[in-house]
Amino acid sequence: MTDTQGGLRGWSAGRRGSLSRLRFTSLRLRLVLVFGLVALTAAVSASGIAYWLNREAVLTRAQDAVLRDFRQEMQNRAGALPEHPTQDQLQRAASQMAASSQRFSVLLVAQDADGKTVYGNSGGINGFALEDVPKTLRAAVTRRQEVSDTNKEPYHLYWQRVTEDGTPYLVAGTRVIGGGPTGYMAKSLEPEAKDLNSLAWSLGIATGLALIGAALLAQAAATTVLKPVHRLGVAARRLGEGKLDTRLQVSGTDELADLSRTFNNAAEALEQRVAEMAARDDASRRFVADMSHELRTPLTAITAVTEVLEEELEAETGSMDPMIEPAVRLVVSETRRLNDLVENLMEVTRFDAGTARLVLDDVDVADQITACIDARAWLDAVELDVERGLHARLDPRRLDVILANLIGNALKHGGSPVRVSVRQADDSVVIQVRDHGPGIPEDVLPHVFDRFYKASASRPRSEGSGLGLSIALENAHIHGGEITAANSPEGGAVFTLRLPRDASELTEENGEGGRDTKTDQHRPGEEGS
Amino acid sequence: MGQNVRVPSLLLIEDDDAIRTALELSLTRQGHRVATAASGEDGLKLLREQRPDLIVLDVMLPGIDGFEVCRRIRRTDQLPIILLTARSDDIDVVVGLESGADDYVVKPVQGRVLDARIRAVLRRGERESSDSATFGSLVIDRSAMTVTKNGEDLQLTPTELRLLLELSRRPGQALSRQQLLRLVWEHDYLGDSRLVDACVQRLRAKVEDVPSSPTLIRTVRGVGYRLDTPQ
Repeated sequence: MTDTQGGLRGWSAGRRGSLSRLRFTSLRLRLVLVFGLVALTAAVSASGIAYWLNREAVLTRAQDAVLRDFRQEMQNRAGALPEHPTQDQLQRAASQMAASSQRFSVLLVAQDADGKTVYGNSGGINGFALEDVPKTLRAAVTRRQEVSDTNKEPYHLYWQRVTEDGTPYLVAGTRVIGGGPTGYMAKSLEPEAKDLNSLAWSLGIATGLALIGAALLAQAAATTVLKPVHRLGVAARRLGEGKLDTRLQVSGTDELADLSRTFNNAAEALEQRVAEMAARDDASRRFVADMSHELRTPLTAITAVTEVLEEELEAETGSMDPMIEPAVRLVVSETRRLNDLVENLMEVTRFDAGTARLVLDDVDVADQITACIDARAWLDAVELDVERGLHARLDPRRLDVILANLIGNALKHGGSPVRVSVRQADDSVVIQVRDHGPGIPEDVLPHVFDRFYKASASRPRSEGSGLGLSIALENAHIHGGEITAANSPEGGAVFTLRLPRDASELTEENGEGGRDTKTDQHRPGEEGS
Repeated sequence: MGQNVRVPSLLLIEDDDAIRTALELSLTRQGHRVATAASGEDGLKLLREQRPDLIVLDVMLPGIDGFEVCRRIRRTDQLPIILLTARSDDIDVVVGLESGADDYVVKPVQGRVLDARIRAVLRRGERESSDSATFGSLVIDRSAMTVTKNGEDLQLTPTELRLLLELSRRPGQALSRQQLLRLVWEHDYLGDSRLVDACVQRLRAKVEDVPSSPTLIRTVRGVGYRLDTPQ
C-alpha cells in the first residue's frame, strides 16, 4: 500500500519536475518528436501506397468497362451508319449509344453527303459538345496512322481523364475504320472519386490515430527512461548535500541499471573515502587533545616550582648567582608562555571536539570590559566609549577571552591608543576595538582568524601563541555571535564583535546535542517566583 | 613565628609524584603545613588520623577518583575541599561541585592562585561579631557561627555558612552571582557562576522544607538569589 503511494508521489513529483523543465532539448520532447516522425513516415507511406494502388485498380476497372462498352456501341451503332449520315441519323445513333448500361454521353461527328460536318449528340444542344473534348485527344483520334506489322489499324481508341468544375471525367474517342463517324464519349468518374475520397479520409484518420498512438508510446517510453533518470538526479543531489549513504535500487539489466550500479559504487567509494578522512582527522585531533592533556601534568609541576624560583628572584636580589639569574628568569617567562600555549591548545581542541559549553550569567557589559582592561593593567592605553547599564546574558569568561585577545592584539600590532566602543543594536551587543596602527594588509585580512597564521615570515616569533584571534572567533561563534576584521578609512584596524544579548537559547540546543549533565546548572531554581 | 598565628594544615591528595612534590614545596613556602597522600584510599585514612583544615584533592586518581573521595568525606564531614582538575571540561567542574567541593582550580595551577583560594576558603569559617537573625524556623547565630532549624543544629560547610550569612545580611535584597562570588569565594571578576548555583542547591537541601520549592532562598530570574522571610 505504502509502496504504491510512494510510487504515485514519485510519479507526480517527476511530472511536475518534467513539466517545469519542458524545453526543446528535453529528452521527453525529443523522444515524442522522433516517435511521431517515425509513425508519420510509416503511416503516410503505407497509406500512400495503399491509396495509389486502390485508385489505379478502381479507375482501371471502371474505365475498362466503359471503354469496352463504348467500343462495342461504336461498332454496333456507329458502324451501322452510312458513310455520310444525316444529322438526324447521327443524333439517333448517339442517343441509342448513350442508353447503354454505362450511361455515358456520346458525341458523333461525321460529314454528310454535302461535305458539311454534322454532329450527333446524346444530351441535346447543351450536352456533350466537341469543345468538351481536349484538343490533343481530338488530334490523336483523327490522326491516321501508318499500317504496319505491329500496328494493324489506322485508327485507335484514345482516352483521357479530365476534370471539369471539380468533377473528374473520362473522355474517349475513336473513329470507325473504313469510313464512318468519329465518336467521342464522356463518362463522369464521380462515384469512383467519391469512393477514393472516402478511402483517403479513412487513411488520413488512420494516420492521425497512428500519430497519437506513437506520441502516447513515446510518452510511456520517455517515462520509463526518465523515471530512473529522475531518481538518479534526486540521488545525486542528496549525495551532493552530504547524505553519503544514498543508494539506488537496482532493477533489471539495462543500461540505466548499469548506470545506477555505477552510481552506487561511486557513492560507496565516496562514503568510504570521507569516512577514512574523517577518521584520520579525528585521530589527529584526538592526538592534539591527548598531547595537550599529557603536557599539562609536567607543566603543573614545573609551574609550581618556577613560582618558587620567581619568588626567590624577587625576594632577595643579589643572593642568586648573577650567571644563574637570567637563566631562571628565562625559565620562568618561557614556562608562562608554554602554559598559555597549552591552555590555548586545550581550548582549541575543546572547540574542535564540540565539548565547549557556555556558562551563562547576567552581566553588565561595561563592567566586564572595564574589569578585563583593569585586570591586565591596560587602562592607560585604552579609551573606553561605553554605554552604561547594558546587560546581557552570556558567558563572562568567554567574553573576557574575546576582549583580552582583541584588545591585546590591537595593542601589540596597532599600538595605543586603542579605542573600545560598545553599542546596542536590536537584540545584540556590538563591541568595536579600533587601533591607530598601520592597519591590516589586504592580503592578510582574510587570514587574521586562521590558526598560527603569521602576518609575515620575517616576524618569526610573535609574543602570542598564534591562536588568540582564532579562539576569540570560536568563542563568539559559540555564543551565536560573530567577529569581523576591517580597516578603518581613517587608518588602523577595526575588529567588530557582535554578540546576541541573550545566548540561552543556544545553550539549550547545545545541551540536547551534547552530554547530559543531569542538573540544570544554567538555570537553577526556576521553581521560585 | 612565635606569634599566636595558627598555621593552617592541608591535606594534598595527588597521584602524580612531580605535581605532589612541586605543590607541597610551593604551598609550604606560602606558609602552610602540608600532608600528602598519593591515592584516595590513603587520603581518607590520613584524614581519620589527623584532622586538616582543608583538603586539596586531585580529580584523576587511581582507584576511587576525586569525586568519590569528595562524596565520602561529605557524608560525615563539612571540611572545605578544593578540587584540582586537570581537565577543565565543564562536565568535570559540574560533577565536582555536585559532589560537594567548595571551589576548584584548573591545572596547570599557579601556586599563588591556589594559595589565594585556600586562604579565601579558610576565612569563611572565621567568626564574626554580633547578633543573630531569624528567618521562619531558621535561626542564624553569627557569633557562634551556628545555624539551627526548628531548634536542630544544621551541619553546613564554611562556604554554605558564608553564603547564608551574606544573603542574611541583606534580607529581601537580590544579590547577583558575581556579587556572591566576590563576597563568598573572593574570586575576581571572572568567577564561575556555577559555584554559586551548586552551593545554593546544597544549601537549599539543608535549609528548605521542600528543596524543590524553596521559600527562603529564592531565585530572582536574570539577577541572582535573595533570602526571604517566609510569610
